[in-house]
Amino acid sequence: MSELFVDRFPKEARIVRLAFGSAFLALAVGALMGLLQALNRTGALDVISDTDYYTVLTAHGVLLALIFSIFFLVGLFTWAVTRSLDRGLPDHRLAKLWYGLMAVGTTLTSIAILSGFVREIPMSADVLYTMYAPLQAHPLFYTGLAMFLIGTWIAGFDWFRTWWSWRSDNPDERVPLQTFMVLTTTLMWYIGTIGLAVEVVVFLLPWSLGIVDSVNPLLTRTLFWYFGHMVVYFWLMPAYLLWYTVLPKLAGGRLFSDPLARVVFVLFLLLSTPVGVHHQYLDPGIAEGFKFIAMTNTMFLLLPSLLTAFTVVASMEHGARQRGGTGYLGWLRALPWRNPAFTGMALAGLMFAAGGFSGMINAGMNINYLVHNTIWIPGHFHLTVGTAAALTFMAGTYWLLPQLTGRKIYSRSIALGQVILWFVGMTLMSNAMHRAGLAGVPRRTADPTYSGFVFETPLGAISELRAQIALGGVVLFVSAVLFLGVVLLSWMDTNAPRASHQPLPAPLSGPEHSPLVLDNMKLWAAIAVVLVILAYSLPFAAIVGEGGLFGVGIDAAQAALAPLGGGLP
Amino acid sequence: MEIHRYEKLWLGASLLLIVTFIGTIVFGAIGPGVAMVDAEGGTITPDQLSADDRFSDPRVEQVGENEYEVYAIARQFAFQPDPIEVPAGSTVTFYIASADVIHGFEVAGTNLNTMVIPGQVTKVTVELDEPGEHGIVCNEYCGAGHHVMEGKLNVIPQDEWEGSDA
Amino acid sequence: MGLRLDVALRRSADGHMSSEQASADGTADGGTAVADGGTTTDGVVREIGHDEFDPVGTLSLILVYLAILVVMWIFMYFVEFLGNGPTVVG
Repeated sequence: MSELFVDRFPKEARIVRLAFGSAFLALAVGALMGLLQALNRTGALDVISDTDYYTVLTAHGVLLALIFSIFFLVGLFTWAVTRSLDRGLPDHRLAKLWYGLMAVGTTLTSIAILSGFVREIPMSADVLYTMYAPLQAHPLFYTGLAMFLIGTWIAGFDWFRTWWSWRSDNPDERVPLQTFMVLTTTLMWYIGTIGLAVEVVVFLLPWSLGIVDSVNPLLTRTLFWYFGHMVVYFWLMPAYLLWYTVLPKLAGGRLFSDPLARVVFVLFLLLSTPVGVHHQYLDPGIAEGFKFIAMTNTMFLLLPSLLTAFTVVASMEHGARQRGGTGYLGWLRALPWRNPAFTGMALAGLMFAAGGFSGMINAGMNINYLVHNTIWIPGHFHLTVGTAAALTFMAGTYWLLPQLTGRKIYSRSIALGQVILWFVGMTLMSNAMHRAGLAGVPRRTADPTYSGFVFETPLGAISELRAQIALGGVVLFVSAVLFLGVVLLSWMDTNAPRASHQPLPAPLSGPEHSPLVLDNMKLWAAIAVVLVILAYSLPFAAIVGEGGLFGVGIDAAQAALAPLGGGLP
Repeated sequence: MEIHRYEKLWLGASLLLIVTFIGTIVFGAIGPGVAMVDAEGGTITPDQLSADDRFSDPRVEQVGENEYEVYAIARQFAFQPDPIEVPAGSTVTFYIASADVIHGFEVAGTNLNTMVIPGQVTKVTVELDEPGEHGIVCNEYCGAGHHVMEGKLNVIPQDEWEGSDA
Repeated sequence: MGLRLDVALRRSADGHMSSEQASADGTADGGTAVADGGTTTDGVVREIGHDEFDPVGTLSLILVYLAILVVMWIFMYFVEFLGNGPTVVG
């Protein structure tokens, strides 16, 4: 099988390209929004008004954390399933349906958000990607998101169908690792999106249409966070798929352990959702006991990521030694650092080690008082979704795109420069965000300078931290432009040299060493559901019992139209 | 299932690390006595605020020798009362309600940080030993004027404290 | 001129194309001389099998990481957090 993917599976390659194209379009707009934010909130350059900042921020969050990441995932997973089963999707009309739903949904939601810039259009959605009630967006915002969500559900079903059809032809074979990763992640998604679906379809959308006139804000917030932690693993699992199955090959080696990779994905399926309350440690209306349970679940959720660190680095070490590396640490030099796909993923993994630590802090129930809603939090997640995921996606694109188009990447040197720039920009921006957060500087704020007091930092002045955030943001934007430029040129260059097929080597410890029970997805899904019920039924019962299913007397606040300084007695 | 002995070592170390993290948090709850915001404050909706004895008149009230209660409201885009003044060396319990949307209430530079959700009353108790002036930041996005929403918490030195503000 | 630069960049970016080997998931035929598809100079010089590989480098790195985590956690909890002024106690 030395055929290029695009030649062997042209229809699937087309779907993957469509998904990636949509992802990169969202990335382009989202990145521009990020630049505007970085310049505005640090006082470096006021291009937008402070009220428009929240429109920009909503676009940035939705387009990057939901649209870019998830379009990339559906493309990557379609490639992974097709490739590892060596089998195309059973019915391309289904694929067109899910892609179409996602694309139309994205368009509707984006229109709702971007209309916030145009005063003449009586439509806006300045609610940020967490869309908490009583802040309310135009119904189009919620409708688009619901369509997007349903599209992803159908995509998952499409991958399951492909697997079922393969399984009936191969009844005694183990599920190939990449397909196993896709299916467990999809199950995790189904379980975890229930909260968001209920929040939007039962509460927020009818409320924005005027069908119900009140919602219970704590209930809808808790429904969001039921979804809101699981979604970070929806961002990470595609990155982990690349780290486990592609990065070893890039490093010149083989995956250290297939069984451990399966264990890790099962752990994520089990634990990603019953931790959501850790985003609500400081919420009134939720008992400390429920918060403690969420904390212990969260702390154990560190385990699959810590295990991943070992397996992935060991696989890289294997490659380095096969390339002639020696010594306890000297082997690092033997890695293919001139390969942008490799270096991007390696830097992303390194940055994840730092982001993982700030995540450990966030997981701590009482230490959360120190960091909650400060700019430490964006500092953390720009290391994780912003680098571990996003930079891996970009690096993975350099490797995968040639196999989807048949053409080599336009310029390896620029690509290499691009991934390094991202790492540098993020180091600058994120470290300053962490430190500013410790001083109490808030997140999600157009201009955190206040008239009555100043923030005190133990090390370095606030002005220096603001400058780092601005500079880091600019560097990141330049890196994003370079990425998009290289991708566009590679895609369009019909005279590019022909790409060559990239087979993936077998793991050192293969699936034959993996207990069969690991592949029993029904079992793991059932346990996952039980854990969710255990973690969430009592908190939800308490919230509904105290405040009612729909709340009472909670008026919608049209976010963009709220008067400045209004509401004083 | 075959696991390399180094990875078994790492697995053990990771589990130990996780348990240590949990243990530290538990220590914080028991030793220094850090407590989480919970449901003790009860519920109240924005339209009930003006009929409530506490929130119809946001203020600081002395309830014991060194004990004070603060009844505060968070609304778009200010805190009431502003400033909040209490004497140093007191134990202060804040009752905070929202008149409209979700707000944050953080005394910048301290661990007095909490959420204010319409429908709920946030109840938190702190010991304010040191005198000083602190800013209160709304750190939860609450609409177009979110970035101007600030307040003051002034902890007055005991010899300057004359009783609750008239 | 732009075209020439383009070609030059492309030339320098290409590695050699060594012979490919068809290996798929599930087969255990080692990993000799894996092709790079022109994205890097292929550098694999020897094959290391399952039984010959002990990830000592990984162990070293990961224990260093563990040490950093422990120190940072202690600092963050006992210095930054507990030292950060009044804390909620009820």
